[in-house]
Amino acid sequence: MGTAAAVSTAAVTQETSPVSTTPKPARHTRRHLIDFQGWQPDELMALLDTADVMAQVLTRTIKKVPALQGFTVATLFFEDSTRTRLSFERAARAQSADVIAFAAGSSSLKKGEGIKDTLRTLEQLQADLYVVRHPAAGVPRQLTRWTDAAVVNAGDGRHAHPTQALLDAYTFRSALAIKPPEGAPLAPFTGRRLAIVGDIEHSRVARSNVELFTKLGAEVVLCGPATLLPRELAQLPGVTITHSLEAAVEGADAVMALRLQRERMSSALLPSEAEYVARYQLTERAMRLAKDHAIVMHPGPINRDVEISSDLADGPRSVIEQQVANGVSVRMAVLYTLLVGKR
Amino acid sequence: MSRVVVRGGDLRDGAGHHGRHDLYLLDGTIEGLDLGGRVDLEVDAEGNLVTPAFLDLHAHLRDPGQEVKEDLASGLAAAAAGGFGTVVSMANTAPVVDDPGIVADLVSRSRAIGKARLRPAAALSRGMRGEQLTDLSALKRAGAVMITDDGVPVADGRLMRSACEYAAELGLVVQTHSEDPSLRADGVMNEGVVSQRLGLPGNPDAAEAVMLFRDGEVARLTGARVHLAHVSSRRGLEVAAWLKASGAPVSVEVTPHHLTLDDEALEGFDPLYKVAPPLRTRADVDHLRRALATPVIDSIGTDHAPHTLAEKQRDMLSAPFGIGNIEVAFPLLYTELVAAGVLPLERLLWLLQDGPARVMGWGAPRLDSGHPADVVVIDLEAVAAVDGGKFASKAKHTPWQGAELSGWPVATLVRGELAFTR
Repeated sequence: MGTAAAVSTAAVTQETSPVSTTPKPARHTRRHLIDFQGWQPDELMALLDTADVMAQVLTRTIKKVPALQGFTVATLFFEDSTRTRLSFERAARAQSADVIAFAAGSSSLKKGEGIKDTLRTLEQLQADLYVVRHPAAGVPRQLTRWTDAAVVNAGDGRHAHPTQALLDAYTFRSALAIKPPEGAPLAPFTGRRLAIVGDIEHSRVARSNVELFTKLGAEVVLCGPATLLPRELAQLPGVTITHSLEAAVEGADAVMALRLQRERMSSALLPSEAEYVARYQLTERAMRLAKDHAIVMHPGPINRDVEISSDLADGPRSVIEQQVANGVSVRMAVLYTLLVGKR
Repeated sequence: MSRVVVRGGDLRDGAGHHGRHDLYLLDGTIEGLDLGGRVDLEVDAEGNLVTPAFLDLHAHLRDPGQEVKEDLASGLAAAAAGGFGTVVSMANTAPVVDDPGIVADLVSRSRAIGKARLRPAAALSRGMRGEQLTDLSALKRAGAVMITDDGVPVADGRLMRSACEYAAELGLVVQTHSEDPSLRADGVMNEGVVSQRLGLPGNPDAAEAVMLFRDGEVARLTGARVHLAHVSSRRGLEVAAWLKASGAPVSVEVTPHHLTLDDEALEGFDPLYKVAPPLRTRADVDHLRRALATPVIDSIGTDHAPHTLAEKQRDMLSAPFGIGNIEVAFPLLYTELVAAGVLPLERLLWLLQDGPARVMGWGAPRLDSGHPADVVVIDLEAVAAVDGGKFASKAKHTPWQGAELSGWPVATLVRGELAFTR
């Protein structure tokens, strides 16, 4: 297959290992996390509650529980990523799962092996859950048609990055100490506003956050230049769009800046980086229009002083580092819920 | 000598509804009605529709070079199974049909195969690279009836103009693939709220509308007969209607998939639904359906575009464009349009018979004596589920797998010979 498949944890087959307290369910009962279609708000809140428990685990001296002992998690990364893959691997190992890492460099993709054939090969390794990243939207969904294992989308094209959105929601909930309002337990983020600024068009993080935050009752304001901000998104319930940074930030509980890719300039979408910075860079000054308690998020990696000013990224409103830390707890909760949790 | 009777069918053609007759075919032409006498073959059409076999001006038969997807034998058999007696094959093969020798080879091999008649199209530009004209007069002499770079839009307006000047002089029909390449960009589905939700690169209807306008204006400028293939959007069809109303010598084709599927089909990220131009919105589908009954639309072409299952199981960005549909085209349209009360049967037949014949300048297909004995027998009543596994086409996967349809061809005769029987 022309790719590096490395078994990074000593293989312990399920036959020989003592299984954790929860019996391992039959493979066909698994479910997937592709996007948030079909997920109810109470299930999503339960995931965040589980993440709270996992966060406790990570504060212990021995940061490991046997919850997923005997399970094998395979990370399938068809696109370069270090941070997300490490976060998932940490989340799996902290629960004593075995981890198999498959990384297909761009060159091997060009050799033309189809995703189905790659999966067919990996199926022989008997993974219980695949963590999949792919440059084409929809690949994790396609894989669910060909495997009985659970599939977690770790980012597919511009489509979705649901664990990033979950960790953002988790961070948002903890930073703002949000409790579900009385009488609206299914819309815990009611009355809250998230603003996302930047290259919305090409962002799976933005799409997943739109889906998740509106599902939980929040308002989402999307902001950017017209070339990077598709007007169709305004048709989604709970979403408004604006080209004014001030309008987006005003009254927000949280503002998220998205990474600006340099290639947007060469593809005639932006006149220059300076023009973007002048109109859309998120700064301490711009944040004055937000609520007093408003936090600043960024999915990383950041372009310092491009989409976000250094003073803001390093300042008291910034929760960028918490986001990374919370990523592990949230991914632990996702793996646990899909593999052994009740839903 | 070969004499055939198609017995007891309900006869219809573009001249009208003729009622229940025995139709006699002699040596490849229609002999007459209710003649009696000895026959070599008897086709039972009791209770079924008997009508001229359909004409498809737009099918990708993938031969030469892409026989893993389809070849002449499977493609012409699939056409006959769909009730088509004549197929215009597209030129985007490997090598491209840009050489008279390839055209001649297609013609001679198709005669040996039988099944549906092949009338090949030839490429408009060499290698379909959009740079240099093909030798249109030689291609025509070899048997090409149409020129088209279908599959690839002709980006260069001047090349399009030159091709149309030649085509007008030679009396060849030019078929377009009207999408502006720069506006279409890397789009893999219709641009709209669905593509935005799915995060798939969109191809806006404006890409089609802009290019239809250019192609129509080039037709007007040069006097060439230009067939605007697979018009898929409301905006595109409005441009085409305007072009026709203002006297441009253009005709308009729509496809079975653009009449029956919309962009929500892509929700499951299944490249089976990836096609160019893309499946549009429900509003576009409804507009196309309403226009079928008006003179804006001249023909239904299948744009049958088979690929291997493995190719259609790639990811959404790298899977090829195209839907194989030639065997379900009529039952699909009959069920969704005629049986559903949206379109009269006569109009659907017209769009598959007289309409395409008129586009090409061919005689209208009739059941009168002396006409070619290309006839299809269709059971309009029996309902059966689509089973791609039984297709004659090499592409056994279909968006309509399991769909309960009526209007299935039960026998197709071409040149007075049985080309298909169910």
